[in-house]
Parts: sequence; C-alpha cells; structure tokens
Amino acid sequence: MKYLDKTIEEIHNALKTKEIKPIDLVEEAFERIEKNKDLNAYITLNKEEALKKAKSLEEKEVGDNLLFGLPIAVKDNIVTKDLKTTCASHILDNFIPIYNATVVEKLEQNDMIIIGKTNMDEFAMGSSSRTSYFGAPKNPWNKEKISGGSSGGSATTIAARDVLFALGTDTGGSIRQPASYTGIVGMKPTYGRVSRYGLIAFASSLDQIGPMTRNVYENALLLNAIVGHDDKDLTSANKEKEDFTRLINKDISGMKIALPSYFMSDIVTEEIRNEVEKAKKVLEENGATVDIIDMKYLDKAVTLYQIIAMGEASSNLARFDGIRYGFSVENPKNIDDLYLETRKIGFGKEVKRRIMVGSYLLSGENAKIYYNKALSIRDDMKKEFDKVFADYDLIIGPTTTTTAYNLTDPMDDPSKSFMDDVLVIPVNMAGLPGLSLPIGFGKSHMPIGLHIIGNSFEEAKIYQLASFLEKELNLDLDSRKGDNNV
Amino acid sequence: MSNYIPTIGIEVHCELKTNTKIFSNSVNGYGQMANSLTNVIDLGYPGTLPTLNQEVLNLAIKAALILNCKIRRQMHFDRKNYFYPDNPKNYQITQAETPIGYDGYVEITVNGKKKKIEIEEMHIEEDTCKSTHRGEKTLLDFNRAGVPLIEIVTKPCMESGEEAKLYLEKLKELLFYSDVSDCKMEEGSMRADANVSIRKNIDDEYGTKAEIKNIGSISNVKLSIEKEIERQSKIYDNGETFLPQTRRFDDKLNDTVLMRVKETGNDYRYFPEPDIPYVILTDEQIAEVRKTIPMLPDERREKYLSLGINEKITEKLVGNRSLSDYLNNLLDKKLDFKTAANLLLGDISFYLNKNELEITDTKLTPTRFIELVDNMSNKTLTSKNLKDILDTIMESDKTIKEIVKETGIENITDDNAIKEIVQKVISENPDSVTDYKAGKDRAIKYLMGQVMKESKGSANPAMAMDILKEELNK
Repeated sequence: MKYLDKTIEEIHNALKTKEIKPIDLVEEAFERIEKNKDLNAYITLNKEEALKKAKSLEEKEVGDNLLFGLPIAVKDNIVTKDLKTTCASHILDNFIPIYNATVVEKLEQNDMIIIGKTNMDEFAMGSSSRTSYFGAPKNPWNKEKISGGSSGGSATTIAARDVLFALGTDTGGSIRQPASYTGIVGMKPTYGRVSRYGLIAFASSLDQIGPMTRNVYENALLLNAIVGHDDKDLTSANKEKEDFTRLINKDISGMKIALPSYFMSDIVTEEIRNEVEKAKKVLEENGATVDIIDMKYLDKAVTLYQIIAMGEASSNLARFDGIRYGFSVENPKNIDDLYLETRKIGFGKEVKRRIMVGSYLLSGENAKIYYNKALSIRDDMKKEFDKVFADYDLIIGPTTTTTAYNLTDPMDDPSKSFMDDVLVIPVNMAGLPGLSLPIGFGKSHMPIGLHIIGNSFEEAKIYQLASFLEKELNLDLDSRKGDNNV
Repeated sequence: MSNYIPTIGIEVHCELKTNTKIFSNSVNGYGQMANSLTNVIDLGYPGTLPTLNQEVLNLAIKAALILNCKIRRQMHFDRKNYFYPDNPKNYQITQAETPIGYDGYVEITVNGKKKKIEIEEMHIEEDTCKSTHRGEKTLLDFNRAGVPLIEIVTKPCMESGEEAKLYLEKLKELLFYSDVSDCKMEEGSMRADANVSIRKNIDDEYGTKAEIKNIGSISNVKLSIEKEIERQSKIYDNGETFLPQTRRFDDKLNDTVLMRVKETGNDYRYFPEPDIPYVILTDEQIAEVRKTIPMLPDERREKYLSLGINEKITEKLVGNRSLSDYLNNLLDKKLDFKTAANLLLGDISFYLNKNELEITDTKLTPTRFIELVDNMSNKTLTSKNLKDILDTIMESDKTIKEIVKETGIENITDDNAIKEIVQKVISENPDSVTDYKAGKDRAIKYLMGQVMKESKGSANPAMAMDILKEELNK
C-alpha cells in the first residue's frame, strides 16, 4: 500500500469513499519512518497518540477538508501538549509542555494527525542541524550530506516521503535553506501571518512558522490551515481570510520579476547560477519579464542578523535556568551555581556562543552602538525592498550559494555557517514572505532551489509563480529514486 | 555634628488595581493560595508571549494625569535582563526608554508653604514573584508575577524626611482616591525606596548616594531618611568617605543596615521588547480617561471649607471617600452643608460602621437625605429624635415626614398649640414672670423648662422660646 505517494486529491477521495481510513495513513507513515530511521529526522515519535487520534477520526465526517486525517510532522521547537518538546537541546530533553502552540491547535481543528517532532539545530541555531543534541539528520538524496537547518528534520522527512506535510520555522532561512538542500517546497510566510504563540523563541522579531511540503499546491493548502490572527500574539497580523491556492495555475504572462545582481554574483556557485538562468528563461518565454537590478544593503544582512538575532536570543534563552522546567543540576551549592551549572551542561556549544555574543552586543553602550544601529539599518533595508516592490511583482534568486555539503565538513568557522544563509536572511530582516522551489540538480544530483520573494502578505502571488515553474520544469523530486542514482 | 544639606529622591512602586495581570489573563489578586493565580505566561513557559492589558494603559494614563505628567503618545516596552529566581523569564518587561509619563509634580505643604515635588518620570512594568526564605530553601509564589506596576521617580528635590513623608502621604491619597491603586504598604501594593545624599554647601556637587530599599511604611521612610542623614553626617564629620550603596531599614534596630555596596553600573542589557509592538496613545483615549478622574482631595478640601464646613470635619470627610462622594453629588442643591456634613460623619457614619455598610448600600437616597438635612436644619427634628428613628430612615423607603408621623415623635411646631402651653405655664407661674420682668435671666430658663415639660419634650425648642418671649413681653 502506497497511499502516501498519491496526490492529495486521490488520498482525500480514498478517505471519502472509505477505501482507506486515517489509521492506514498513520500506519503507512510509521512504516516509512521506521524504514528511514537512519535519516534521524525525528527526535520524538507520537505513535500511540497518533493512532488513537486516527481511530477517533473514524467517527467524524471526512467532509471537504483536503487535510483531513493526514499525518504531519512538527518541528521540535513548537510546543505540543503532553508531547515532549526539546528544541533539540539537553536543557529541555525532559520537557513535556502543558499547553499547545496556536498552530498545533489549528492542526487539530483541521483534523490533522501529529506523527512526531522533528530534529533541528539546537534552539534553531545553526544551518546544518548538526548542533542538535540528538545528532544531525541526513539528506535523503545522499546520506553523507547535510539536510540543512535549522528545520533539517522536517525537510528530511518530506524529502524521504515519510509524510506529505511538515511544519518548520524560519528565523534566518531555516525553512527555505533546508528545503533547497533536500529538493522540497518550503515557505516562510510574512512576519505576523502565522501566530508565534507556542513557538519557543530564538529571535522574536524574525521567527516565523511555515509549511514544508513535497509540492507547491500542498504547501499553499497547509498555509491556509495555519494562518490567522491570534489574540495571544501581539505581533500577529489581522488579515482577511484568503485562499493561498487561488492563483495556482494562473497565467504568469505580464508578471514583472526582479533578479538582484548580488544574488547572481560569484558568492553563488556556477551550477546554481546556471539553473537560475534556466528558470529565468522559462519565465521570459512565457511572457514574464525578468530584470537584473541592483539592491542596496543585501550584503549587510548577515551582519544585521547576527546582531539582532543573537541579542534577542541571549534574552529569550535566559528563562532556561533549571528552576521551573527542563534540565536542572542536582544539589547546586547556591542559586548562582544552579544557573551556571544547569546552563553550562544543558546548552550546547553553539547556543552558548550565541548567548555570549548576544549578551556582549546588548551590554552597556554596545546596545546603542550595535543593536539599535542594526534596527535602523534594518528599516533602511525594508525600504529598499519596498522600492523594488513598487515596480515588480516578485523578486527571485537562488536560495543557497552551494548545494548541500558533507556532514563531516568542519563546523569550527561560525561565520561560514551564516554564509549558508546569506541569500535568505534579507527576507527575515524585511519581514517578507519567501519560498524555496526545487528547480534542478547540481553535480552528484543534489537539489538546487529557486528563492521567490514576495511583498508583504503576497504569498498567493509567490505560489502562482512557483506552481507555474513547478509544472514547466516537471522535475522528478523523489529522493528515493535519486538515492539509487548515486 | 555639623550641618549638611540633605538631598532626597523617592522611587515608588504601586500595584495597579486591575482585574487581570498586565501580560496575561490571570487574576490580579492578593492573599490567595500560593501559585493559584498563575498560568503559563506568568511562569515564563517556553513559547509563551505577552498580551497587553488595556486596563493597565488606562490606569497609567490616569496616574500620569493626576501627577501632572506629560504623556508620551508613542511608546514601547523594554526588556531588563537579570537573573533572579523571582524573575520567571529572567528579564522583566518595563519601560526604560519611553516612560508613559514625565515632567510631572505633586504639591505638598511644608510648614505652611507650598512646594512642588517634581516627578522625573513614571513608567509601567510587571511585578516579580514573591520569594519567601525558609531556612536553606526559597519558596516562590508566582501570584504576584505579572501584576501591573507603575514606578514613580522624583527628582532629587526633597530636603528632609518630613518632606518625603508629606510627599508619600499626598501620593498615596491621590492614587487611592482615583482608584489607581490600593496603596497598601503593608500588603506591598505600594513600596518606596529613598535615595539619600548630603553635602556641605548648596553649590557643592551632590554627595555620595545611599539607596534605602523597600521601606515598609511612610513613617519609616521619614525615620530611615533621618537616620541615614545622621549616619552620613558622622562619616563626613570624621573626615571619612563611603561608597555608593544599597541599604535597608531594620525596624528592630530602628536604623538602616548595609545590604551591598553598588558595583560600577548594573548592566541590565536593555533592549526594546520585540514581542510587544509600539503603543500609540491618542488624544481621544487620554480625554476618555480624564473623564474618569474624580474630584481630587485638595479640591474637595477647598470646596468644603468654602461651604462653611470646619477644618476638622473637612479632613474627616475627605478621609472618607464614599461619604465625600455622596456629598459631592449634592453640591448643586440648596442645602445646609454644615448640617449635612455633621450628619454624615456623626449618626450616619455610626450606623454604617455598626452595620458594616457603605452609604450607597442603604436606602438613604439623596432626596431623602436632603429632606433629613432640612428637617434637622430647621429644628423640626432634634438630634435626640433622630437617634430614635435613624434605623428606620436608613432601612425604609418612606419620607422623613411619614416616619416622624408614624413614630409619634412629631415636634409640636403648631404656633397655636405651643402658645396654649406657654400661656398655661405663664398663668401657673406668676412669681417667675415677675422675676423675669425684674430682669432675672434665670427665670426664663425655668419657664422654658416648664414649657418643655408640659409638652412632654415635643415642642420645637426654638419656636417655644420665641413664643415664650413674645408672651412675656406682651
């Protein structure tokens, strides 16, 4: 039985005609996860509860919701009631939340079934998922390679076709970059589109939850399910309900697209630039215009990101002190000892490094010199994007500068790891939506992604372009066959 | 001991009287079972986010208006980062950069002279949880975590413990009166810190500062400042110096005690709270809040004195907000306010205290109260009469006239009836009449006594006296 390889409509019809039940999908998903155990995509599996939930859905009308009864994987920094949520950290490896994130409530309302919690960089700090306390996930296209990060587990399980749906989170590219490395579709929605309530904060002004899926249509469907204003999150946007699939398969002729020259400079490998060029041609042949433009500030994004993200992280992670939840050292000598030892043992190296740098950046006069300055340049950067969107519908470029590299590549140069995200970070800085779409393969058949950036709250337009390219390129994105090629 | 010029600044934390906490919908309450008024937000659980209670903004605007502060129209919150077990997120959400109020003042009267105590700024923040130390262990009660506070910071503009005391009394009165805070120092809903330094000459730089933390009562604020001035003076007199420090007042020792010497500039790593967007206050919102401010104590004092109410009764009345409000509702009526005030603070207060009631809980409507005051004022009712019928007045809907009639204590105010009695007394006491005519004052008192006796105490005394004189002088 291979229902999880069928289209979403086929699965839905099979459920509707009672040819299958939700429990069949759950069992199939767990068979696949079991078979792909070595990919290390999951930190915690939710088998018992998922089966129970599937059973309970048998009582319910299938209805018209295409997501009904479908298994979904959730990144392990999104809190799930009664289901361990670790952030891939030792400091939370015994943490069982007593409440649900708003997005989790929304999955429940859509009758989706949470199958497990996916692996990631510790507290989402990293770009290869190798900072996970539980070891890195492996890229299904080539197990020697990284899946990217920080949503590496979610990308892995989609690329391996364990399930159709996963949630990731994106602070500086953490959905789009692993999506690109694993040949799947990953969307970071506009900041404020999806409630952050229950997302364990890394950098509050940048964090955003988004869908990771095997194709564009399913991505838009999942986004439909998780958006909406939330009274519990003051930064959540109050927008009219809309259908993100509505422009899919619509004509793209007349669309004006910008391609910033910086994105095609020699920081990007030639093979990736070539694939982007090919995509550009396809668009132009179909009536869209693609202009090479110059944009200021793009090269400053990584520096800004380091200051803002680490500053906020140093404060956000202060609450992990061993007093109320999570790991706590035994028999501390005094309160300072409790803090120091719990955090020394509980946090990994990269997290501690970022907390220290962040604390330094906010310390004394530094807050003015660095943090406030970074916020003001960030505003300028946002304005630069506004200028482009006054003339263009969308911006495109490559998602990453290289394809996925080896798991064994050195990790000792932290600034190099940020360079993995140099092309995706500007989008977080400006709070814009961005999507990575597979557009081809590099040498040894590793996936290459196209980054499509939209104006605020114009996700539907991104899906329009992405679905068009997806159809035109018609790539075989099943890693299980790709794996055989190596 | 030489003479020095003291300089004092006061910081006050006041808990706002809201229904719920500042960043969550937990109940804002005192004296409940430990940790029963908490939720995941108050406990700083991972993934939780703050919401912002609009009631807090409105009360803070109200406080700023009352303290004559300028109000910031665009403001944000900041994170103050420090590790302490009573601080669940290990950062406190406060307003470091953009306090809601600034450049205000409170006016006090020192030795008969008015003085403005300048308010540097007033900001909103969240309270920490309450820690109780039990031997080796520390117990944490998060009921207080996230209770809204305003912190009011004065300029270093006071010169004595007495001024500090007067300032705090005035502040407490204002905030309590306007329902901003309970201001109960014993329950910690109002807390004061005092910064004290001294210098030799007015042209000198300020002296080294000592901060006395968390003083438990207004009288102790005065006392601790005086003790601290004495301590610092002795040090300087001996030619010694001291380091900036934090002290506390020990009521057993009746003196301040060193807590810690301040290290160079605490580093709280402030930065704008990213989870709460900028708050914009509109003129309309501020105007709406202004409407909710009741008449403030000083204005009441002035009003009452101008109505002929004496100083003692005025103070008592201002000290009882609900009776004062009750009277204020009648200010546009024609009324003997002196009698009204006396009634409220006398017999009516006695009744309310005895029955543990507020005046608004009783049946004494303004209309009936006015009738009562008029009856007292024109002596239709004597105070002895009133004592007999007060319970009925407070507990029934009948007019005062009806009550008086039913209980049969009606004053004889009928001229003819009194005249009859007077004539009878005169004819029965010819000797006293002669004495009166001979100029003996005592005689009229005796005759009056006979009139009251004859009427069984129910003749209106003033009227009886008038008629008696009239008849005698015929």
